[in-house]
Amino acid sequence: MSSKEMLLKKLSSYKFAVHELKLFLDTHPKDKETMKKLKEYEEKARELSDEYEEKYGPVKRKNNNTEYWSWVNDPWPWEAQ
Amino acid sequence: MFQYEKRLQYPVRIKQTNPKLAKIIISQYGGPDGELGASLRYLSQRFSMPVPELKATLTDIGVEELGHLEMIGAIVYQLTKGLSEDEIKEAGFDAYFVDHTTGIYPQAASGVPYTAAAMQVKGDPIADLHEDLAADATTSKVQTTYTNAPKVKHP
Repeated sequence: MSSKEMLLKKLSSYKFAVHELKLFLDTHPKDKETMKKLKEYEEKARELSDEYEEKYGPVKRKNNNTEYWSWVNDPWPWEAQ
Repeated sequence: MFQYEKRLQYPVRIKQTNPKLAKIIISQYGGPDGELGASLRYLSQRFSMPVPELKATLTDIGVEELGHLEMIGAIVYQLTKGLSEDEIKEAGFDAYFVDHTTGIYPQAASGVPYTAAAMQVKGDPIADLHEDLAADATTSKVQTTYTNAPKVKHP
């Protein structure tokens, strides 16, 4: 597994955990412990997302380059490399 | 409002094409118990759902199902990429190919195009939640039956 794949996998793991915690909160909206955990995981996911975008290009529509809209770059998520 | 993230919920990297398997997996894309149906079911049922917790849940899982739809599309795309004429004919993929080539079309394995006739929005919370439970049970049946194929299952 390449370091790009490793980082994406780590990011996806945290994002998945964030999503599951949110689903739990949908039916347990007063659960303080889960809200605390969510905040912690969101923070970690944000760090990993920033690192990934810095190295490999946008996951959201973040664009640091003023000369070129890098959102259009290959590969798209369904294209295996 | 919806925002796209340029990543799959779980990565899909298939090393070897398999049109025979693609013919089956396409059903999870646009078949009666597929991800498109799941997403539309939840996102449509939520409007008439009276309980706040359930409006939230249907919204969030309805969006997540679109992410699943994208993963299934990626699987079918990679299973059928760059096929030769012989491979298409041998696998019996020619019936799909004549209409869609290797494009990803929302249909059932039987060839029936995606239809909302396989889902229901009753506007009654108990009826709709029961419909969701039934739909989810069929989905897990497909998943356990077909996704253990080697080269598709994550190593």
